[in-house]
Amino acid sequence: MPLLNAQEAEEEYQDALVTLSFLEEDDSKIIRATARDMEGNPITDLELYFYVQRTFSLLPIGDFINFTDENGMVEVEFPGDLPGDKEGHVKIIVKLQDSDSYNDLTVERIKNWGIPTPVDQFEEKRSLWAAAANAPIALVLATSGMILAVWSIIGYIIFILFKISKLNKVNT
Amino acid sequence: MENDTNQDSSRRKFLKNLSAGSMITLTGMACTSVSCKQNSGEKTTLMTTDGKLVQVSNSEIEAMEHQHHPATPAEAREGIPGKKFVMVVDLAKCKNAKKCVEACDHTHNLTPDRPYIKVLEMQDNEKSAPYWMPKKCFQCDNPPCVKVCPVGATYKRTDGIVLVDNERCIGCRFCMAACPYSARVFNWGEPPREDENIPYSPETSVPSKIGTVGKCDFCPDMLRQNKLPHCVTSCPNGVIYFGDEIDDTVTNGVETVRLSTLLKEKAGYRYMEELGTKPRVYYLPPVDRLFPFEKDTELNSES
Amino acid sequence: MSKVLSKTDSEIFKSPREKDLLSHITSTSLKYKIWIAVLLVFVVFGLIGYYRQLKFGLVVTAMRDYTSWGIYISNFVFFVAISLVGSLFSSILKLNKNEWSRPLTRISEIIAVSAIICAAVIIIVDMGRPDRFFYVIRYLRIQSPIIWDVIIISTYLVISFLLLYISMLPDLGLCRDRLTSVPRWKKKLYRILALNWNDNPRQWKKLQKINKILAITVLPVAFAIHTITSWLFATTWRPGWDSTNLGPYFVSGAFMAGAAIIIVAMYFIREHMNLGRYITQGHFDKMSKLLVLLSLVYLYFNINEYLGPAFKMVGVEGEHITELFVGNYAPMYWLVQIGGLVLPIILLLFKPLRKPLPAFVISMLVLLGAWFKRFLIVIPSLQHPYLPIQGVDESYLHYNPTWEEWAITISSFAWFLLIITFLVKIFPVIPVKKEEAFIKSNSNSQSDNDEI
Repeated sequence: MPLLNAQEAEEEYQDALVTLSFLEEDDSKIIRATARDMEGNPITDLELYFYVQRTFSLLPIGDFINFTDENGMVEVEFPGDLPGDKEGHVKIIVKLQDSDSYNDLTVERIKNWGIPTPVDQFEEKRSLWAAAANAPIALVLATSGMILAVWSIIGYIIFILFKISKLNKVNT
Repeated sequence: MENDTNQDSSRRKFLKNLSAGSMITLTGMACTSVSCKQNSGEKTTLMTTDGKLVQVSNSEIEAMEHQHHPATPAEAREGIPGKKFVMVVDLAKCKNAKKCVEACDHTHNLTPDRPYIKVLEMQDNEKSAPYWMPKKCFQCDNPPCVKVCPVGATYKRTDGIVLVDNERCIGCRFCMAACPYSARVFNWGEPPREDENIPYSPETSVPSKIGTVGKCDFCPDMLRQNKLPHCVTSCPNGVIYFGDEIDDTVTNGVETVRLSTLLKEKAGYRYMEELGTKPRVYYLPPVDRLFPFEKDTELNSES
Repeated sequence: MSKVLSKTDSEIFKSPREKDLLSHITSTSLKYKIWIAVLLVFVVFGLIGYYRQLKFGLVVTAMRDYTSWGIYISNFVFFVAISLVGSLFSSILKLNKNEWSRPLTRISEIIAVSAIICAAVIIIVDMGRPDRFFYVIRYLRIQSPIIWDVIIISTYLVISFLLLYISMLPDLGLCRDRLTSVPRWKKKLYRILALNWNDNPRQWKKLQKINKILAITVLPVAFAIHTITSWLFATTWRPGWDSTNLGPYFVSGAFMAGAAIIIVAMYFIREHMNLGRYITQGHFDKMSKLLVLLSLVYLYFNINEYLGPAFKMVGVEGEHITELFVGNYAPMYWLVQIGGLVLPIILLLFKPLRKPLPAFVISMLVLLGAWFKRFLIVIPSLQHPYLPIQGVDESYLHYNPTWEEWAITISSFAWFLLIITFLVKIFPVIPVKKEEAFIKSNSNSQSDNDEI
């Protein structure tokens, strides 16, 4: 594994320009990337990497290797079942990297091509594993009913005991 | 990912990753972020997104280190919004290197006799081949441990993680009896001292407290910074995939794949599905193994 | 109330019954003092053990991550089981109008109170953080079976006290009136506890009423307390615990242990308090028969508990059964099942063995068996988890209680006996006043008290 020194410089690379266009045809969603050099000529056989931004990393999409054609274009199909955020937004990232003649480049776009993810109803759920405040209603009613019943009997008994202590010898 | 031998471009790529603030992970856990900053003349080996190791001086790391304070017990009750964390363990790749255990023990300040992660030697029956099974807390969606806790010291968060609040735990150990996977450990005595006087957080599980319970927590302090748990990044064989179920994506730090595809293609399963605990940890069966099953008697003290 | 200070016993007590049943309160023997001293020695040992546990943590016990519950919990279950005896006498036998069991009601209630106090204390001893005990109220989660147990134990504790107290109220009045030569604190105690009791027929009527309400109330509560205790186990997936049979299994075991401890208590009271006239051979005979009946019920649930799993031998459930039947725990298991259950049933079928001494010995066997049975219920189950026990310290694989655990457990028995001894010493252990006799004569002649 190469251990690199981070202080070296590089000069022999050119800048490239990558533009993205998004096509929606019937059921398929296509990302088209066009690579041009600084003079505006299409770059052929340039390897581009297509990703979708995820929580921890970039999810590669498209074929294993995606090369530009003679027009400098490469098309990649966006997976139709990929979840996005609440509104279905996804960040699409196209990268030019590790090329022999061009500088690295990253193009990002946010599209609403993802499946909208539903808002989680977790907080409102009553369950046995929920927090104390979200105990199942039936359980709360049953336990408090039983506690109330038994403790009101206990309360009644203590009340009668109190009355017993107030009774004087009336019959003697 | 292809392998590049050009030193310059790799360096450029690395710096780009730095500026993008994307995932860079400390490997080898030998120095914590705090101690790294102090001796800035030294160099640290880092792993880039595509799994390459590069060495940079510590002063460069400092630039991207977030000043992160651990969540307080109250804050730690809220899950990370919009996330449902999930783990996939590929049994075909595990060779019992135990790096996950070491990294976990180190970050959670655990003694080796009661780790949060165990790599178990499993053999389903006499004829079947033995395999290694890394086992941590399954972070169940129907968690038996949370159900039985009398004080809510262990709780289920919106992001799927089951955490333990050591400052509320009364030490009744009912959760340990209830967990069918023996995922929980107890601080029977005073836990080993930590040098730094850091505040307690259920998200880091340190410093743990005597007379309370502990377990694998999916490292939510790392997740809050969009970083992978330590066990994932420390595994040399990419056994452990981690990600967000809502994203439908998991990564082992090297490759990023869709969760649904991975589970479909490799016949992913959950351990003891019949218990109905709905674990958030999936296993991929030990087929087409990368390594032969070798039992290192030094590493394993069998019962 | 007449002030009589220098009278002899015969002048103080109005009947021989009163003299027999109250005189132990006024005189203290050397035997009694030695008994208390011995118990206190055990209590001190336990306190030393608990001090060490508080100082160093639960690491002083032999409990570890797999065997995470030990003899504290099995002892807790044992005491909860014992506490059910109060309901057996005050409710089941009373409501069935069993006259013979009346003299045993008080002692059963005393044992119940003492046992439930000990159970509550032991569960605190088992806590890793006893300093956070009140978190149970502050952060209460009604979903947890532990909370159900806390609620039911505190309820049963109160009911047990009430049962003991209410049925003793007329006798407390008697103590206040008759025991004039006792120390001032005792006089004050009787005066406060007696609640102006003056054998007023209206008082008797009210007392009878609440006595009956309580006798009915205690029954579901008593069943609940041990059923909920069984749910602490049955709500988990541990082999041997994961059973729908566990509730009745625990309750029937509790009644068996309760009957046995009554026979043991009867023997001591008869031998050491000269109450042979009140606790007769007939009592031993009847109690022994009751013990046989309750043991048969327990045996039935035992067979249910073990036959199914032993027949199927599923996974860890099968491992657990093998461990009990022929493995490491086999000697204890068969000693408990045969010596503590089958043998007592057979022996007590013979009339000569239902005499006081043999019945006492057999009941001790039953009690020992009951304690170790709870050990067998709690510990081996924890040692057979679904996932294999690997990569842990050797000490995690076994469970041999440390001296601290034994000291604390033995001192819990010392506490148990101390509380009983204290209550027996200051209160009449056999009810002096018979309410029926009073009510009957009262309704006939409208005369005042002391009809016995």
